[in-house]
Amino acid sequence: MSPRQSGFVEHSKGPPQRKSTPDVHIPGLEPITYADRMHYVPGLAKPVFPPWERGWHDPYHYTGPKNQEMPLYKEKPCYVFHRRTSVLEGVRQALWLTKSKRINGLPSQIVSLAEDPANQVDNQDERVEQAIKHARFWDTTEDRPSKETFCPVLLNDLLHLCRTVQVKHPALGKRMLAEDYTLAAYWNRGEDLFQVRGKNGTLMSSVSPLPAIAGKEEVASTADYVLETFYPIAPTIDLQLTHVYQEKTHTGFKEGYPYPHAHTVFHLEAKRPFRLFPEQLRAKMIMFAFANALARAQACYGTQPQVLEQPVVVQSVATNGRVFQFIVLQLNTTELEMDTGVKNMVWLEQDLPLYDYAKVRPLIKKKVVEVPAGLAGYQPDTFKKFLALYLHGAV
Amino acid sequence: MRVSHAETDTSFRPDKDIDVIIVGQSVHHEDLSVTYREHTRVKLSYLHSLGTRRQENHGLCSVALGGSLAARFPTPAGRQVALWSVASRHHPTLLSATPMQWRGFLMGVPLAQNNRYWKQRTKYTIRPIGMRKTGGRDYTGRIRTHGIGGGHKQRYRMIDFQRLNFEKETDKPSFQEKVMEVRYDPCRSADIALVAGGSRKRWIIATENMEVGDIITTSSTIGRMAVSANEGDSYALGALPVGTLINNLEVYPGKGSQYIRAAGTCGVLLRKVNGTAIVQLPSKQQVQVLETCMVTVGRVSNINHNKRIIGKAGRNRWLGKRPSSGLWQRKGGWAGRKIKPLPAMKSYINLAPVGSAS
Repeated sequence: MSPRQSGFVEHSKGPPQRKSTPDVHIPGLEPITYADRMHYVPGLAKPVFPPWERGWHDPYHYTGPKNQEMPLYKEKPCYVFHRRTSVLEGVRQALWLTKSKRINGLPSQIVSLAEDPANQVDNQDERVEQAIKHARFWDTTEDRPSKETFCPVLLNDLLHLCRTVQVKHPALGKRMLAEDYTLAAYWNRGEDLFQVRGKNGTLMSSVSPLPAIAGKEEVASTADYVLETFYPIAPTIDLQLTHVYQEKTHTGFKEGYPYPHAHTVFHLEAKRPFRLFPEQLRAKMIMFAFANALARAQACYGTQPQVLEQPVVVQSVATNGRVFQFIVLQLNTTELEMDTGVKNMVWLEQDLPLYDYAKVRPLIKKKVVEVPAGLAGYQPDTFKKFLALYLHGAV
Repeated sequence: MRVSHAETDTSFRPDKDIDVIIVGQSVHHEDLSVTYREHTRVKLSYLHSLGTRRQENHGLCSVALGGSLAARFPTPAGRQVALWSVASRHHPTLLSATPMQWRGFLMGVPLAQNNRYWKQRTKYTIRPIGMRKTGGRDYTGRIRTHGIGGGHKQRYRMIDFQRLNFEKETDKPSFQEKVMEVRYDPCRSADIALVAGGSRKRWIIATENMEVGDIITTSSTIGRMAVSANEGDSYALGALPVGTLINNLEVYPGKGSQYIRAAGTCGVLLRKVNGTAIVQLPSKQQVQVLETCMVTVGRVSNINHNKRIIGKAGRNRWLGKRPSSGLWQRKGGWAGRKIKPLPAMKSYINLAPVGSAS
């Protein structure tokens, strides 16, 4: 007797499933099936056919090999951070993964650059407002541009403004912007293997590396810092667990690329299903800045974990078209396995609005105009910091 | 010369053996330089590129392989017939393909609106899953439950009713989790909570005072002393002191909670006897279960669920409830209060049957 008489119980709608009787296999006896009758016969067993094979390659019905059969399969799992990863604990988790100490506010070098009026663009405030208006009002044939449209336009306009300072500082000419470069970095942390993989925002790289921000004493003093943990949540939460991976560290550029030093990574807010909350966006900025620095450090000093003689500094800027996040990361050590020893450092300046409102139509509530149409609440300090991060290393 | 079905012959090699192809109503032969329409060439090359792909859509009926077929078929209507007759004269047996193995009834019409693929998921996820409304219909399409239909679209969140559901490759007797979110769930009267512990997240039924940031414990150990449990913690019944308010009661250890899951309800642990525990359900019925059954301490959230005011008929429609008929019927003997004895205690303990001892 066949255990299941009806042929299509698995995934189609059907009556409540009957409890199946176990298959009985008697060696030497073959069940009589109704295969040769070509129709169902009560009392005869349901025939079992070998799985049908097409006999030719159909790309629409291709099933890849199993994970265990892939050449890159490894026993030890790896936790992958990529551009769509939204880590639950945000910055705290990113700090633990990169073994970093958090310092609020930008470093003093950059703050002094931002406050120096000599570094400013001519008519700075007016031109920034023009840039915002260009992105939010003028650069469209629609009524109002979408966020996906105005966000990159605003970033490009601001970068263009920054580039005009090149007249005063010729060293700014030795910069290059790269979009869609693929980054790979892996490291051991605790007992686990972590990776940052894939494409991320726009990278501005330069001929010369950024100078170290914290001095040797300050770096040595981070050895006393105790990393923040978040029990009962594990630091690996929300990272992609995979057994098929490649242990690879690469900056994404060929050997001999004339602009090898990552300067600033610019992140834009992603489209709807992959949009991150600000906390998760900052975690992503830290992770990708760290991966850029780590790839650079391993290219310079080799893959052996060590405390770096010359720390690697990478900056990161993220925006959603209104609010800016700034991060400066200094990679002091590639000894990430233990929690003790020298830590890396992250300076974090978060949630700085460039302006409050940019309204195509006024916001009216109960017949009272609450926010008039046009640009309102421009905050000049944000662009000063943006410019200072751009100038850092060239002034 | 050999004629065969392209669909069934696996030795068919389009690059080498092909000589004559009938596509649609046109004939192509390499030696004869027959003129044909332009679209025929396109389909021929398409066939070459695809190998032995089935060409039902392009009207491929048969392929002559090897040798040369120096026949030119006069009329479009007669071509197909002529080739068949030529071929069958030489090799009549090869024309009928080997019978395909029968592989069950294939339903031609997909019953898409009744399929329940969203229920077939076995892997756990915290993502809300889109549901399909049944309208009270069962698998045959007939009404099984009256008064269901319409309402706001809802999404299903998978609730983990097994509190003692260990994370992969860990088997700790007790573990802790942190409450990340407490929110409304359209699929049940109680609120649900997103908890995270280790490297996983899951939804559970929230208790009355559960808040974001709380740490909740789950433990299966039964110690000598009764534990002093906080609300939201989950313990085996044997570990709790008598008189504790509990919810999410399991009746078989490890099966997952089945009782006391509705909003605002709670049960009472009445006594512990000889490896079993007796619990009073919200209906005042008493059940006897093994003391290793897991329960959550406290009362289920959304205690004001029974106090809400529906207000109008339309709000019930929002909830997917259709109106009853409204027919007036005189009340009979069924109306009014009855004094009934409580049902006997229900036992979920599978004691060995008497006959099995012998």
